[in-house]
Amino acid sequence: MKKRLPLKVSISGVRGIIGESLTPQIAARFASAFGTYLGPGQVLVGQDTRPSGTMLKKAVLSGLLATGCQPVEVGVLPIPTILFLTHEKQARGAVVVTASHNPPEWNGLKFIGPEGLYLRRSQVEEFLDIFHQGEFTFVAAERIKSPRPEKNAGELHLEKILSRLKVRAIRSRGFRVVADCANGAGATLLPQLLRELGCETLLINTDLSGHFAHQSEPVPENLGELCRRVKEFRADLGLAQDADADRLALVDEKGRALGEDLTLALAVAHVLGKKRGPVAVNLSASMAIDDLAARYRVPVIRTRIGEINVVEAMLDEGAVIGGEGNGGVIWPEIHPCRDSLTAAGLVLEMLAESQKPLSSLAAEFKKYHLLKDKMDCPAELAFRAVVELRRRYQSEKISTLDGLKISWPDSWVHIRPSNTEPIIRLLAESRSAVRSRRLIERFKKEIKSIIRKLA
Amino acid sequence: MKLLKLNLSGVRGIVGQTITPELVIDFASAFGTMLPAGTVLVGRDSRKSGLMVQEAAVAALLSTGHEVRNLGICPTPVIQFLVRQHRAAGAISITAGHNPAEWNALNFINSQGTYLNEFQGSELLDIYHLGRFAHQKLKKSPAVINEVNPEEVYFSWLSQKLCTEEIARARFKVVVDPCNGAGAGLVNKFFQALGCELVAVNNEPSGYFPHDPEPRPRNAGEVASLVRATGANLGFLLNSDASRIALVTETGETLSEEYTLPVVAGYYLQQQPGPVITSLSTSRMIEAVAEKHGVPVIRTRVGQSALIQVMLQEDGALAGEGSGGVALRNFQPAFDGFAVMGLVLEAMAVQQKKLSELVRVIPRYHIVKDKIVCPPHRLHSLVAETRKLYPRAEVNSLDGLHVSLKDAWVHIRASSTEPLIRIIAESPSATRAQLEVDKVVAFLNRLLG
Repeated sequence: MKKRLPLKVSISGVRGIIGESLTPQIAARFASAFGTYLGPGQVLVGQDTRPSGTMLKKAVLSGLLATGCQPVEVGVLPIPTILFLTHEKQARGAVVVTASHNPPEWNGLKFIGPEGLYLRRSQVEEFLDIFHQGEFTFVAAERIKSPRPEKNAGELHLEKILSRLKVRAIRSRGFRVVADCANGAGATLLPQLLRELGCETLLINTDLSGHFAHQSEPVPENLGELCRRVKEFRADLGLAQDADADRLALVDEKGRALGEDLTLALAVAHVLGKKRGPVAVNLSASMAIDDLAARYRVPVIRTRIGEINVVEAMLDEGAVIGGEGNGGVIWPEIHPCRDSLTAAGLVLEMLAESQKPLSSLAAEFKKYHLLKDKMDCPAELAFRAVVELRRRYQSEKISTLDGLKISWPDSWVHIRPSNTEPIIRLLAESRSAVRSRRLIERFKKEIKSIIRKLA
Repeated sequence: MKLLKLNLSGVRGIVGQTITPELVIDFASAFGTMLPAGTVLVGRDSRKSGLMVQEAAVAALLSTGHEVRNLGICPTPVIQFLVRQHRAAGAISITAGHNPAEWNALNFINSQGTYLNEFQGSELLDIYHLGRFAHQKLKKSPAVINEVNPEEVYFSWLSQKLCTEEIARARFKVVVDPCNGAGAGLVNKFFQALGCELVAVNNEPSGYFPHDPEPRPRNAGEVASLVRATGANLGFLLNSDASRIALVTETGETLSEEYTLPVVAGYYLQQQPGPVITSLSTSRMIEAVAEKHGVPVIRTRVGQSALIQVMLQEDGALAGEGSGGVALRNFQPAFDGFAVMGLVLEAMAVQQKKLSELVRVIPRYHIVKDKIVCPPHRLHSLVAETRKLYPRAEVNSLDGLHVSLKDAWVHIRASSTEPLIRIIAESPSATRAQLEVDKVVAFLNRLLG
């Protein structure tokens, strides 16, 4: 069989391996299609710290210029900051050169539409149609503009976050914080945010030269150094961003990684305590969210995986808080997007107001054990395997909104082909780690046998 | 019709129609694939489309693992000089030279600072057509170095090459029109170093071309009237990348761009005797100048690439053509508008002559140029057909059809930059030259229907 070139085009944009599947040609074509879709106007262009970032950014700039757009280069900034700025500056849209948590040899493009929202499914379809038809509206030479660099654009985002937090209450606590920016874009703003909030900080992995000290997913196995430093520094907490700085994981004062799903639970608890309203989360978020919503008697809307799906539900239902179980907290007070900076602010505010250590705030949610796993599987086989599973489990309580989620009274498993990589993701939650692990192993085994039969 | 022309020096077309980000990336990727590892220089003229093309070209070169030195808006001769200075692997100059503003082009330059030769040019096209480019994994980001004032080292080299003191002593007053191209602004530094008083028009590198950036009499009206109004010693007209020059005398006479080569050669051959390389389309004025200095004239195909290659092979003293582009062996193997302007001033200063006096000693011919738009696929067959007009004449088919008649010559060739057939005739009699061109044009029009 011919080797599959790993280029993934999905609702989140396009990702591929540099030098193999993601070439400057493809980047320029996508940017030309995006410029054609948006029409001439201001388009922000940002990037993360990957070594291929400048190469791809230049291809993107060329495509945007050729279609008459006015690119504004905002440089390396967190994704949520770019989403926020797209809205704030009333730009037509934005392109971000990033492959978020993929390994360093990957890169990609994320496309942001008007009002600083990711493209909805219908918009993605329109945009991809233009890409595939290959008919781009290139403007005449005299209407081509020049890219405009903009420095320190991130300050606006910090100002907005600080304006919505009880800054004095947080400052008065003088928290000791260790922050792991995963050598990602978060390093451009998180240190400043913590300074403004009066924290004493120890910063690790803030070097932006494009080398990741550890895999950038903020899952416990990548946070060994952070946990150690929290203990050494005798910090009140540790913060771990992913490379795009949209997700945040926490380490308690005892140096224990709390698991990404806990960030959302804490943020939901904190915000609902101040303002009641609907909560929107994706299918994979912890049952802890349902417990919280029940306590505050507010509805929970469950959506497909993918930030834009949660955001759409939040906007439609007027949700006051929401997000994803992977550490992605969405607080619409700032901007309807996952934002590690906002999440850090909310957690610090919660610590300041509750006067409790993070470990005891977390203990409340410790009754659930959410485990995540993945297995390699080409996209086409993955979808067929999920279809087969749906058939087998149709008599259980299932959701087919996104992949397959099977729920039992105090546990569930969610099986879903990834949008961005040729893998199947498995999540399971129950009241014991052993049971969650068993659920995952059972379904992995079952999927393997289905794939063997299909192949 | 979508226009795209490939030739040895590069790829040229109309922006948005054929010059698109993807085409630029494909060609620049092919160039990067062909080059050895190292640094590649990238510069552009002032066209509005320049940055779009540059971003695409730089993306491609970074992708093939090359470090890029971005020279910004920079004349092609300066880029060619800096390639050798930086020991770069090569360079791309983004300019469509004399073409109107809606055009742009990639011009590929090798490590010697010359346009690609025949073999390099066809290798580049082979890689382009095959479409297999050496995109790298980029584990480490290749650098993009933005050069500030890259022209300074070039100007200091040039002022050492010229008799700067003699020129400065003459206290010339000079009118110059860089056509808001890559030479705009830079001319101030250049003429200041030569002690000249400068009257400059269209001197902002804005990319707004007040007239087509082609240095020839029909675009020289403004310079001519300024020369007369200010009592200047001469006027210069530049194309968009400062590689070609046309002259205006102290009386305000706009000289055909054909004069640039013989005027420069008349002085330069005294210091540096040797063969003169020129194209079949260039005026016979140069024959008289060469004869006076006892050196041969070698005629070759039209275009900078062909002329420079022959100059290097034949150890020529200089190479130039009727478009106003001249390369001087002792300076650099490149059409260099600054070197040409400097030498014209030096000729006047050293010989204590006015420009009109330098021109007067050159025999006067009348050259008539015309062109016919022709579908690209018929260009060469139609040119070949014109042979029938001259069944018994002496012909040279090195580049289209060149016919030598008793009292005139006529050259019919397919343009290498546009879908045009160019017809050029020259004779001591203006009517004779016009007659010959009219004959060919009528013949071609009949064939084109």
